[in-house]
Amino acid sequence: MTDYEGLKEQWSEIEDRDGVRLSWNTFPSSRMEASRLVVPIGALYTPLKEKTDTPLLQYEPVSCKAPCRAVLNPFCQVDMRARLWICPFCLQRNALPPHYKDISQDAIPPELHPNSTTIEYRLARPAPSPPIFLFVVDTCQEEDSLKALKDSIIMSLSLLPPYALVGLITFGTMAQVHELGYTECAKSYVFRGSKDYTSKQVQDMLGLGTLGPRQNMPQQPGRPSLPAGAGARFLLPVSQCEFQLTNALEQLQKDPWPVANDKRALRCTGVALSVAAGLLETQFVNMGGRIMLFSGGPATEGPGMVVGPELREPIRSHHDIDRDNIKYYKKALKFYDNLAKRVAHNGHIVDIFAGCLDQVGLLEMKGLSNSTGGHMILTDSFTSSMYKQSFARVFNKDADDNLLMGFNASLEVLTTKELKVTGLIGHAVSMNKKSASVGETECGIGNTCSWKMCGIDPEASYGIYFEIASQGGGPSNLQPGQNKGMMQFLTYYQHSAGQYHLRVTTVARNLSGPSGDPAIAQSFDQEASAVLMSRIAVFKAEVDDGPDVLRWVDRMLIRLCSRFAEYRKDDPSSFRLEKNFTLYPQFMFHLRRSQFLQVFNNSPDETAFYRHVLNHEDVSNSLIMIQPTLDSYGFDHEGSQPVLLDSTSIQSETILLLDTFFHILIFHGETMAEWRKAGYQDQEGYDSFRTLLEAPKEDAKDLIQDRFPLPRFIVCDAGGSQARFLLSKLNPSTTHTTGSYGGVSQTAQTIFTDDVSLQTFMDHLMKLAVSGTG
Amino acid sequence: GQMNLGPQPVQQVTPQLQQPATTTHLNQLFPSDLISQPFNVQELDLPPPTINLPANTAATPSPYANCPPKFVRSTLNCIPQTYSTLKKSKLPFALLVQPFTSLQDHQDPVPVVNDQIISRCRRCRGYINPFVTFLDHGHRWRCNLCNLTNDVPQAFDWDAAAQKSVDRWQRAELNYGVVEYVAPQEYMVRPPQPLVYLFLFDASYASVTNGLLGTSARTILESLDRIPNADRRTRVGFMAVDSSLHYFSIPRDGSENNEPSALVVSDLDEPFLPQPTDLLVNLSECRANVETFLGKLQSMFQETPITASAMGSALRAGHKLISPVGGKIAVLSSSLPNVGYGKLEMREDRKILGTSGESKLLQTANSFYKSFAVECSKNQVSIDMFLFSSQYQDVATLSNLPRYTGGQTYFYPGWNAARSEDAIKFAREFSDYLSAEIGLEAVLRVRATTGLRMNAFYGNFFNRSSDLCAFPAFPRDQAYVVEVAIDETITKGTVCLQSAVLHTSCNGERRIRVLTLALPTTETLANVYASADQQAITAYFSHKAVERALGSGLDPARDALQAKLIEIMQTYRKELAGGGSSGLQLPQNLRALPVLFLGLIKNLGLRKSSQIGSDLRAAALCLLSTLPVPLMMQYIYPRFFSLHDMPDAAGVPDPQTAEILLPPTCNLSSERIVPYGLYLIDDGVNQFLWIGKDAVPALLLDVFGVEDRNQIKQGKTSLPILDSDFNERVRAVVEKSKDHLAKGVGSIVVPQLYIIREGGEPSLQLWAQSLLVEDRADQGVSLQQWMGMLREKVVQ
Ligand SMILES: [Zn+2]
Ligand SMILES: [Zn+2]
Repeated sequence: MTDYEGLKEQWSEIEDRDGVRLSWNTFPSSRMEASRLVVPIGALYTPLKEKTDTPLLQYEPVSCKAPCRAVLNPFCQVDMRARLWICPFCLQRNALPPHYKDISQDAIPPELHPNSTTIEYRLARPAPSPPIFLFVVDTCQEEDSLKALKDSIIMSLSLLPPYALVGLITFGTMAQVHELGYTECAKSYVFRGSKDYTSKQVQDMLGLGTLGPRQNMPQQPGRPSLPAGAGARFLLPVSQCEFQLTNALEQLQKDPWPVANDKRALRCTGVALSVAAGLLETQFVNMGGRIMLFSGGPATEGPGMVVGPELREPIRSHHDIDRDNIKYYKKALKFYDNLAKRVAHNGHIVDIFAGCLDQVGLLEMKGLSNSTGGHMILTDSFTSSMYKQSFARVFNKDADDNLLMGFNASLEVLTTKELKVTGLIGHAVSMNKKSASVGETECGIGNTCSWKMCGIDPEASYGIYFEIASQGGGPSNLQPGQNKGMMQFLTYYQHSAGQYHLRVTTVARNLSGPSGDPAIAQSFDQEASAVLMSRIAVFKAEVDDGPDVLRWVDRMLIRLCSRFAEYRKDDPSSFRLEKNFTLYPQFMFHLRRSQFLQVFNNSPDETAFYRHVLNHEDVSNSLIMIQPTLDSYGFDHEGSQPVLLDSTSIQSETILLLDTFFHILIFHGETMAEWRKAGYQDQEGYDSFRTLLEAPKEDAKDLIQDRFPLPRFIVCDAGGSQARFLLSKLNPSTTHTTGSYGGVSQTAQTIFTDDVSLQTFMDHLMKLAVSGTG
Repeated sequence: GQMNLGPQPVQQVTPQLQQPATTTHLNQLFPSDLISQPFNVQELDLPPPTINLPANTAATPSPYANCPPKFVRSTLNCIPQTYSTLKKSKLPFALLVQPFTSLQDHQDPVPVVNDQIISRCRRCRGYINPFVTFLDHGHRWRCNLCNLTNDVPQAFDWDAAAQKSVDRWQRAELNYGVVEYVAPQEYMVRPPQPLVYLFLFDASYASVTNGLLGTSARTILESLDRIPNADRRTRVGFMAVDSSLHYFSIPRDGSENNEPSALVVSDLDEPFLPQPTDLLVNLSECRANVETFLGKLQSMFQETPITASAMGSALRAGHKLISPVGGKIAVLSSSLPNVGYGKLEMREDRKILGTSGESKLLQTANSFYKSFAVECSKNQVSIDMFLFSSQYQDVATLSNLPRYTGGQTYFYPGWNAARSEDAIKFAREFSDYLSAEIGLEAVLRVRATTGLRMNAFYGNFFNRSSDLCAFPAFPRDQAYVVEVAIDETITKGTVCLQSAVLHTSCNGERRIRVLTLALPTTETLANVYASADQQAITAYFSHKAVERALGSGLDPARDALQAKLIEIMQTYRKELAGGGSSGLQLPQNLRALPVLFLGLIKNLGLRKSSQIGSDLRAAALCLLSTLPVPLMMQYIYPRFFSLHDMPDAAGVPDPQTAEILLPPTCNLSSERIVPYGLYLIDDGVNQFLWIGKDAVPALLLDVFGVEDRNQIKQGKTSLPILDSDFNERVRAVVEKSKDHLAKGVGSIVVPQLYIIREGGEPSLQLWAQSLLVEDRADQGVSLQQWMGMLREKVVQ
């Protein structure tokens, strides 16, 4: 058995360098072998992971002949003398281009350096336009939240590069496109909120119809050109229209149409979005841009409405959907999904910022962000710091003062012939590109080797799944020297500085030896696997019934344990897991209990939001979401101490810090809470108590430092109502079914829940795994 | 002229003895022969035949008891008692009703009854008037329309405000044939609406480049103080239209943001309001910001390349905007509405002008314009069209909007603000238009003595029920024709026709203007003919001819006029003139009839010609069906003055009245024109100053300041102001000829002056000559030919 800690370290280094974590780090060499792995071969890949150590190459990459187009990488065999290289993916020989003539053992270009498994090129091809930011603002809001929203958008203008194009659409009962290029007075084009406008209608009504395509316009090399023509009336460089836009925002009033007491405000979110899409659809196709929707409530009017204007009619819940008691849901879903397809096709992003105590219809609209790599931020109000800080973080910049966001990206996967790609789970759409690397089965968005991400950022992570080719006949079939399976990820994207970039990550892993090679089991990365499996489970949950998905999770877990645990048949007590498997069942236990699969405690909007975030994050952040971290603070130890996510961890003389990724919660045990209420921390001689109270707060600050979206911050006391957030996350090891009714423990809190505890879960698992029924 | 109807003190009189009215002498028939004694134009200046009522017909001896002809004019001032006599006479029986005779009340005030005591007949709902009979010691009155006896209201003799009794015989409604009541609550369906003006600007390329948009905005800006707004409730709204609808939101003065903003709606199929407020604003509260907006409007569209106009959609949108209140939509357009709702096509084909195919160009091209107008009428929305196109604009179709909503079509063909005459004329007219005190939410009803029935109504309104005409806004520059039928034999010596206009004044007062006309009756045809009013008859047939032209075509309209005239003359000859003479006979009071009919047939609206564009024609037909009688007469038989030899008294103020005296008018015949002369022809729309080809340098120097006639600018222009007595007199005549008040009418039209040098620009000369009705021209006959033809037909 290899040193597990050593392996973890190695994987972590690879993740730092390449942004990749694999479920299996040795690839089975036969389809049969692969089928027994239960957890598919998968990679959780963060294409734009920030790298500071490798240089940005300022030249065009050297690519293999068509149709392969693999990019020269450290795994290529290079014949220095003949100035040839052999492509490891298609085994073709390629001549090195003339300017590589001085290549030698001592002078190799950076892309061939062994550490350059990930390398980035800045291509000569400039972006067709500066990045576009189209603000779509809901005006059906109370003055204070509208004010806060306006302020935040005005503030964001200072964060944008001066050449970025900006536009403004506001909506309420109707949708208005503001003509920022018009200086005589404030001017906007108004669209009826109840009408489903076609793209052509939108363009005609904005007077954009007469314009021809811009493709033939000469490009100024190296600089994004500004769009001219009709569309330029609505989208202008910040530097040109900042005054006009700021004015328009400042003058923005609450939607003026009267709202009866028993009614919701009429809000035509669907029309506003479709007009936004239509505006960008003319001149701005495939020019990177974000449609940023700020929604203060549900759409109640026109296409895409999610609830009627009558207040007595509640917005749909998970139960309503479950019972098929849904008036608008399917129609709205269809509307937004179609819109999402259009927007994604045009290369634009939709971000949704919700500032509302109630739901805004994220469930229906989720496709817009999920398909385009947009953000989803779900907050109670635009006045909240959670909104303000999250929104500001969208505009984070790198050391060169470029926005940390890419546009119009495509991710292409190449594989050596043993591997085939079966799909991708993440915020992308298929580009429907067929190649020899495309597998027969489908996992997530499949049947393609290439995906489009209209929006991509340094944290955006994608689950990419593979299978072993059916014709693979074991290692004996391998070419000499070809004992590795390889994949290459090619990510083209429009960098916010205005140039196209190509990021190339080449991954090579050993292929397993003869059947039963223990190297495979040893290469199991349980963390990456848990996250990759979670993505599949959530993907399934989007289409399948909840219980089916849970059964699938269980079955897969049992099968994995049956396959990789050591046990004597039908003897649960003999059940043992290798170190690199031990945490996996726990992850699955928590996944089953998580908001990702147990939706009934949340609103449909929250579910959409949580799932959206899960599909964006890397392994470590995803694990926090699946299995939150819990730290304890007490007098008996210095600093924090990780404790079990278990009800036994609640002690009266400790403070707990829970991080679910979405929530950061500080929980004061009973005694701690009493002392705090009594104000000891403010009294002389209680310095240590004061320090203790402060410690989790300090640590919480560190946690939220880089987090996006900003988590909800909760401080609560034992017995307080907010404590339910903590209790719902804890393993119910001492519930009323297991604990005693009479004598409630002084130190552990009883959780009233019917959930099974981890122990019970494990008992079941072992029993089933050893029975061989999995 | 001196106002003859002001609320002047009535002499103290004693209550009359309610004696039966005695018979009086009716007008006598004075036969004449038009051949041996040709028509002289000055006969047109004679008043209509006297209305000879028996003494004591009125309850008071007031000289104002009967309605003056400038308000209501009957084609017959002596009514046949039976239908058969009327039928036999071949004369029409109709009233020409012009309830308002000036643009503003103060220019020609009528007595107002303020105390809200309105005594009306319980049966026919007629208003108490000078011709009722008091019974039972003055406690009751007998209705002179239906004969029912009604109680006199308790408060009739009591001034509640002053808490003292009043002399009933001083009450205006018993002394004046025209009074206006301030109406109490029960005359209102809803609280009096404020005055609302919605301006609908064409902002497409044509209107921007010809300066219409800028001139309109500037004129409104400069006329804001003239818009009636005494109660500070007047509201204004502005919309512009090209291929989209542009709404303008105007904040209240002193708001956080005082900038107007534009809201563009391009959804033309189903126009909607982009916001619920600030599109129609209180003029007083938003005055400064309205001014800011009007100052900007021109520049907002300065660069427009758009040639489309969605006026139909804009109208619907405008209707939506103001229909909750009602009001006026003033459309200012230089374009054919060619996109959106009710879009129209260029359908004029110059080849069919002058043929029978021409008539369909005068008909409505799109039913929207009628149905929409009716909808507007229901919602108390009135539309005025100001049309300026240099190309085909389909005036025929667009004029439906004013026609059914009590509005008017004002046509400015080929207008361009770059010509100062054009800019000044329109600005003056539009400003006067804005200053007019219109009545809102108005209805006109005419009641009459039992046996008479209102049979048909002509004019711009919507005929809501058989006897009720609806006017969302009652204009002050139009007249109406009400055709009266005799259903039963009339036994009384006097009949009464009472017109009432219920309206909301622009000060928010509900008012009823009551016009009571009493006419004698007769059994004999001679009396009917002796009291027939030739001008009223012509005006009546003008309306009929327009109806015929729009319905059947121009040829049938002209033919019908000719046939009618022959019929009347035959009847007169056969029944009253003994039939023997070979001359062409008519009574004195009808001698102008042939020449007026000729003028009508030769009018721009009706004359046979292949040179008259259908827009010009349609606009002329609008005038022929709306003008008050004096203007109508001038329009079909223009005023023609010889200036070079005018009497010394002409062109200077009359010593008594201080009014400028006009020279005598001349017959419209080129025989009157001498080569060295200077003439003015004025049809009320245009004025032509004709300079004879041999005009002497001294005359030219006096009038134009130059001796060489070639230096005088031809065409649209104005007279120079010179320090010369004759120049001053000519200018005074030209000015005085435009004086509407002197004619007893309200009008915004400022006739455009054209200077014509005989032998100069041929088209101008031809145009002026086309007004010489008695001449032969184009396809029209001369008066001589006309009389010859009539004689042939009548005497045969
Ligand atoms: Zn290759
Ligand atoms: Zn009566």
